[in-house]
Amino acid sequence: MRRIVLYEGFERFWHWAQALIILTMMLTGFEVRGVGWHLFGFQRAVALHNILAVTLLVLIVFAIFWHFTTGEWRQYIPTRKFLREMIAFYVTGIFKGAPHPVRKHRMAKLNPLQRLAYFGFKVLIIPVQVTSGALYYYYPNLQHSLGWPPATLWVIAVVHVLGAFGLVAFLIGHVYLTTTGHTPLTNIKAMLTGWEELEDDAYFDET
Amino acid sequence: MQTLLGLLALPLALAQEPAPPPTPAGHGSYTIVHVAKSRRQTADHSKFKILKGPFKDSDGPAVTRACLTCHMKAAEQVMATSHWTWNIAKDGKDGFGKSTLLVNNYCISIIGGNTESCARCHAGYGFKDKSFDFTKQENVDCLVCHDTTGDYEKEKAGWPNPGVSLAEVAQKVGAPSNRNCGVCHFFGGGGDATKHGDLDDTILKAPRAEDVHMSRQGAGMDCIDCHASDAHKVGGPNYVVPADRREQAKFAGESVSRMSCAACHSDSPHKSYILNRHYQKVACQTCHIPTYARGTLPTNTFWDWASAGRLKNGRGYKEEDANGYEKYNSIHGEMIWARNVRPSYVWYNGTLKFTRLTDRITVPADGRVILNPAEGSYTDPNAKIWPFKFHEATQPFDPILQHFVAPYTAGPKGSGAYWGDWDWDVAIKMGMETAGLPYSGQHSFVKTSMLWPVTHMVAPKEQALACTECHKRNGLLAQVPGFYLLGRDHGAGVDLLGFGVILLTLLGVGIHGFIRFTHGRP
Repeated sequence: MRRIVLYEGFERFWHWAQALIILTMMLTGFEVRGVGWHLFGFQRAVALHNILAVTLLVLIVFAIFWHFTTGEWRQYIPTRKFLREMIAFYVTGIFKGAPHPVRKHRMAKLNPLQRLAYFGFKVLIIPVQVTSGALYYYYPNLQHSLGWPPATLWVIAVVHVLGAFGLVAFLIGHVYLTTTGHTPLTNIKAMLTGWEELEDDAYFDET
Repeated sequence: MQTLLGLLALPLALAQEPAPPPTPAGHGSYTIVHVAKSRRQTADHSKFKILKGPFKDSDGPAVTRACLTCHMKAAEQVMATSHWTWNIAKDGKDGFGKSTLLVNNYCISIIGGNTESCARCHAGYGFKDKSFDFTKQENVDCLVCHDTTGDYEKEKAGWPNPGVSLAEVAQKVGAPSNRNCGVCHFFGGGGDATKHGDLDDTILKAPRAEDVHMSRQGAGMDCIDCHASDAHKVGGPNYVVPADRREQAKFAGESVSRMSCAACHSDSPHKSYILNRHYQKVACQTCHIPTYARGTLPTNTFWDWASAGRLKNGRGYKEEDANGYEKYNSIHGEMIWARNVRPSYVWYNGTLKFTRLTDRITVPADGRVILNPAEGSYTDPNAKIWPFKFHEATQPFDPILQHFVAPYTAGPKGSGAYWGDWDWDVAIKMGMETAGLPYSGQHSFVKTSMLWPVTHMVAPKEQALACTECHKRNGLLAQVPGFYLLGRDHGAGVDLLGFGVILLTLLGVGIHGFIRFTHGRP
């Protein structure tokens, strides 16, 4: 076993900042939708939601820059290799104490399911939310200049809300799966400190 | 107090000492506005010999002749306005106004023989029926708008009260104050606060919370600061309030003036971009006039002509409710009065479709005829959500010819007028004859509603509607159709789907975790 920095400083900052922003956007977003809580007050919730949307966009721009300059974007390329095994692991193996079918190493820290999930998150859920959110925000201007029918706003809102529900479901699954590491807190600790213990062979295979 | 009889007895008795200007405080510019006003006058009218008279009692035309010796074009200008014609239409056509065939659900109509009583609010002398000479300049009443003493009063047909010293009033003329406008416009519908709900004489001494513009603790503005005039044409809506930012005349006869909030406040007065964007679809009044009739006087919300005419010992009587509001009066039936009323909200593009006595009416299934429905919808670029006072009533109707009728109401016993003889058949027959309209001889009573745009009594900004008054389920805009509103509209399917997905995820995670932990492999 060997301890290495699996998640670099920016990566951790990006992850937790994004988590905080998205969580607050969930709270404010569902507040203005009127699901029942009143944490910020409507007007402040709307203002905060919009400010956070811009903040998230800025963060995403930096993250994209980081991913491309470091080459880390390759970590998210979906693969079918070991996909079947991973599914089998979560469906049955995990209950029997079977070993994790994919070993982490520095250049492949995500298993095929993670790759799929995070790839989907990045190219589907986030773009849908950003786009529908921007259309929502600028709807009065667009409706005015493009002459959109009133039903357009309904469609935009429904897409945005369904995306938000999807994000909540994603968050639940995501948080649960962090507990499937060596111990329930192993993965979260790694995401906080960056350090993770990898098995030697995995490390040396790569080097 | 709010009765028709009250108005008959004390038509224009609003005389009172002008309030001393308060020290300027907070927002607004009372002092500046009023210093500027005192400078407007360039002549001291008490120095003019011709205004010393003497004038005979009630001889208004003599005063007017005196005015015209200097202001020779004034009468001609007034005669071109709706304050004189009571009909804002060219070429003698039927337009908007009290002299037209329009029907309302307060006093119904003046043209069924009621002109003489109603004309105490006419800017002229001697208007009692169709024979009135609208071309005679000396019949123009200068004093009703230009009196600054508060002593001037008008009687039937618009003649000055014989007790008024015309010479004294004539020597102290000046620019119209809120009182001059108020003697008529506060008393629409036959009594103080009755008709509009956002205009009554409490405005003269309003605290800031009642009206930020007119209150002396607020901006201390006068009616004419917004309703600016041009050659005696007072800017303002003739029955139709412009709904949007347009500043051009809506129709011939309306002068262009500061008739919109945006004219002073701009179309983006808030710090918040999102609040400013509401301007596109929501009238300023909608949020900033959260309730109307915010003074001490209640406005009439229901007028039940059908229950009029109950008599005790052959005489009419009145009943008051616990608040002292008149809940029954034989001359107009049961009434409901209310203060601090939440408006109704309606899409409105600046057009109210008025009903005329000649219009053939199909009574809808719910039995309620809306006399002046507002036009507009979400897709109409000129329409906004506007606050309205809905005035409900029952009123006489001709079920055979299917039109509304104009009864002869104001007259003494033996005249045939309803308030004298209590006979609808006779009163309607006489009224329709006077109006020159057909009547089948049968009448029924029909429920009617009227929309009155609410635009005065703007509240301090702290009292403006909060976001969640509308952006919530079953909020104030629950009934306003045609668009998706954040917080109001949900779509049951969307919530079901969304919460279903979340629930299923939780369930899956729960089951998975449960098995993991019971298998001793966390």
